[in-house]
Amino acid sequence: VLLQGTLDLLILKTLSWGPRHGYAIARWIEETTDDTLRIEEGSLYPALYRMERRGWIDAAWGKSEIGQRIKIYSLTPKGRAQLRAESAEWASFTSAVAKVLKST
Amino acid sequence: MIPDRLSLARRLRRVFWPVSVEREIADELSAHLELQTRRFIAAGMSEADARAAARMRFGDVDRVRDECRDIRTQMETDMRRAELVEDLRLDARFAIRTLRRAPLFTTVAVITIALGVGANTAIFSVLEAVLLRPLPYRFADRVEMIWNGNTESAARTAVAVPEYLDLKAQLRAHDAVAAIYPQPSPLVGDGGEPERVNAYVVTPNLFDLLGAAPMIGRGFVNDDGTMGAPRVIILSHELWTRRFGADRSAIGRIVTVAGLPRTIIGVMPAGVRFPDAPLDFLREHADLWIPSTLEGSRGGSRGNQFIAVVARRAAGSTEARGAADVDGVAEQWRHAYADRYAIQAAKHWKLVALPMREQMVGGARAGLFVITAAVSLVLLIACVNVANLLLARGAARQREIAIRVALGAGRVRLVRQLVTEAVLLAAAGGALGLGLAWLGMRLLLRLDAGALPRMGEAGIDASVLVFTGAVSIITGLLVGAVPAIQQSSRDLRHALDEGTRGGGGPAKRRLRSTLVAAQVGMALIVLIASALLGRSFLALERVNPGFSSSAVLTLQFNLPHAKYDSAYKTIAFYDELTRQARALPGVVEVSGGYPVPMSGDGWSGSIRVDGEPDGPNDPMPHAEYGVALPGFFHALRVPLVTGRDFAATDTPDAPQVVIVDVILAREHWPNESAIGKRVNGATVIGVVGHVHKAGPQSEGEPQIYLPYAQSAQNTLSMVMRARGEPLSLAAPVRVLVHRIDPQMPISRLRTLDDLVAQATARQRLDAVLLGVFALTALALASVGLYGVMGYLVSQRSREIGIRIALGGHPAAIRTMVLREGLWISGAGLVGGLVVSLLASRALGGLLFGVSPTDPITYVAISATLVLVSVAASYGPARRATRVDPLIAMRD
Repeated sequence: VLLQGTLDLLILKTLSWGPRHGYAIARWIEETTDDTLRIEEGSLYPALYRMERRGWIDAAWGKSEIGQRIKIYSLTPKGRAQLRAESAEWASFTSAVAKVLKST
Repeated sequence: MIPDRLSLARRLRRVFWPVSVEREIADELSAHLELQTRRFIAAGMSEADARAAARMRFGDVDRVRDECRDIRTQMETDMRRAELVEDLRLDARFAIRTLRRAPLFTTVAVITIALGVGANTAIFSVLEAVLLRPLPYRFADRVEMIWNGNTESAARTAVAVPEYLDLKAQLRAHDAVAAIYPQPSPLVGDGGEPERVNAYVVTPNLFDLLGAAPMIGRGFVNDDGTMGAPRVIILSHELWTRRFGADRSAIGRIVTVAGLPRTIIGVMPAGVRFPDAPLDFLREHADLWIPSTLEGSRGGSRGNQFIAVVARRAAGSTEARGAADVDGVAEQWRHAYADRYAIQAAKHWKLVALPMREQMVGGARAGLFVITAAVSLVLLIACVNVANLLLARGAARQREIAIRVALGAGRVRLVRQLVTEAVLLAAAGGALGLGLAWLGMRLLLRLDAGALPRMGEAGIDASVLVFTGAVSIITGLLVGAVPAIQQSSRDLRHALDEGTRGGGGPAKRRLRSTLVAAQVGMALIVLIASALLGRSFLALERVNPGFSSSAVLTLQFNLPHAKYDSAYKTIAFYDELTRQARALPGVVEVSGGYPVPMSGDGWSGSIRVDGEPDGPNDPMPHAEYGVALPGFFHALRVPLVTGRDFAATDTPDAPQVVIVDVILAREHWPNESAIGKRVNGATVIGVVGHVHKAGPQSEGEPQIYLPYAQSAQNTLSMVMRARGEPLSLAAPVRVLVHRIDPQMPISRLRTLDDLVAQATARQRLDAVLLGVFALTALALASVGLYGVMGYLVSQRSREIGIRIALGGHPAAIRTMVLREGLWISGAGLVGGLVVSLLASRALGGLLFGVSPTDPITYVAISATLVLVSVAASYGPARRATRVDPLIAMRD
């Protein structure tokens, strides 16, 4: 199970290295996390559409590696700011949790 | 594969994103599945297994698709809304820039709209205060007044105490009945100068019946006002603020009212001053209320009618049921008191129940209706002017618009731009108009705050602001729609080819001419209404009221009963006062009487003439009564036709005498002298001229006067004829009164001229307002006509140039233009005359001495408008004769 906000953060982070399509995002998350998060790939798309609506990411038609028409997502300046804010929040959250766990 | 990262992509999206949402999602998801399948195949799976694994890995495709579609739909809605806001913002910014580039046009248009909207706002605020704003009583809509009425006329008289008690016991469809009558009384005893206040005696249930509760302290309870109960009063918010500095500790304080100490127990909220507007003889706002159950007068006479009855219909009971209820009571009385209600003289008697609200403000309705109609026409005329200005500008902007169309601006967009401009103009005009309305209101209230009931409460409040906003926006849409539609429907292909002069086909000329004709017609309607009301008012002014009001000061006394408890004492007070006042410098004559004509006071009753049948079934003649000191008639310049005036010798012990007016004398002794005849047991000693007591418009009844000494009462008015300005006597007479009795309050210190003016205040208000609106309408319409004639001449300058080149005589050209102007205004005049004649009936009830279809008025106003149209067309006509054929034809 993955928190909604966490998925958003992962997508934003992924796109911070450059535009890519939905499948590539899923691959990238899988590879960099050694598949520990195991997200259900379908849930990626509503998240992408939602973020597009909020103006964090933009979409444009492009071509996939095998020549299909496919939507390519990229980070907007607003999305970049959101990524910074959420990363900071995530860091403070995990350090807080870690502190609690260590305190025994 | 470089993605398009330009951020204006959001706005341009629809242009460059030609795929439907369905397709977009389907493509994207299937691309994903395809890529995944390929990966699994590359890892060594069979195609079928790979496809299944990819789906498995993906999850529920349908669910994802639906979710994505929902989000996308919401996003599109967001975008459309944002786009609209953005467009409007751009339109507005563009419009402001365009308007600023044409300051003269903008100024004229804004001022024109401000005049129209301002006048409407001012009138609406009066309308709102007088007619629309609810009374401050919860049950106002169910409250009725019950009077002794007449089946044959609208006349109504007050109710006697036994009648009130019967109504209270016998009414079925009404759940509460209260009584109120004025107690003219001074408020003294708490220090400071004695002051006359408007006090009313009310039954303790009055405020519960109306649905009003005190702001502080307590209301009346049933024990208040019974014999022997502690004496208490409730103050109005106004009196509490004015006299007691809004001090809460005023509750419990004891003040002397009407000669007796009374405890203040409560203060009503601001605005509660029942009666809030004149209800027959209840004329003044209340300052305080004194409770009385009236039980002490239970055995009183049914002829002693002095109270007003207030009744509340039970919840759910209709007006018709209320009326039937009252009729039922009247029927009971006819049986129970046949000697009073079933006799010949009471043949037309009935009880009437009238809605309180209707009685308070209903009389103002007809006048306000006409004024509202007139002021709406003024706004329409202003709209036409602005629409014409916009049309003229549209012609000049033809090229700009053609270029914008060529660059791809759609028709809808163009119309919206033009309408936005008009709405902005109207908004600016509305804001300025609000200022004008505020000024106008202050002027109006200073002139005549008392002309209409509750008019003093008029002001700019929330509902007025809403009204102004709505009227401004509607004005903008109306004014903008005409040129916008015309503009965008023109054949724009030709616009670019046309000369710099700008286009104006026959359709456009016809439209502008029609608008101006309509304007002239509307101006005619307002002018005719105003002229009729003006003539009616002048006719009122010309009425000879039977007395001369100039240079007369009047003031009224209500001698406190506690101190002046005998006729002897009151007579002595007035004797002393008149004797000393005569010695004041600047005083020509001093006398006294009651009622003073046009003061609003009235007194009438039956008379008995010796020698005429006076059985119980014979009708009793009716007359207006008055008392007078010697010299009263001469001081008011009421002519003494025959006989003598009252004299000092007509003392209480001397033979009883009366003076009658010429009408009474003529009615009862048509062919002989009235002197020596006997009325009410007294001898007629003189005949005086008839006086209009209620106002110039009403002739009134026959009149009879009693000498004050033989009919002493506590209320009397002094009349002082001055050598110069009567108000200069006010200060010395005050000093004099307080030298004679330091505790004596003085009320209604007014000049008689004032009282006479007050009697026609409503008519003056109607006439003045309509006059102002008529002049505004005339000015706006002539400006409109002038503008359009100028436009027509400029349109035809080529034709006129040719005519001149061919030897056309300037006079002929001038005539041609003038004739065209007259055609336009003539068409408007005919239309306006027809509408005026049809609508004139609405004026009928407001007019005095002039018919609503008075031919002289119609002809004179039409002629005036013809002259004004000639004048308005003359300038353009002269300009036409100066057209230089060379220039005109080169263009």
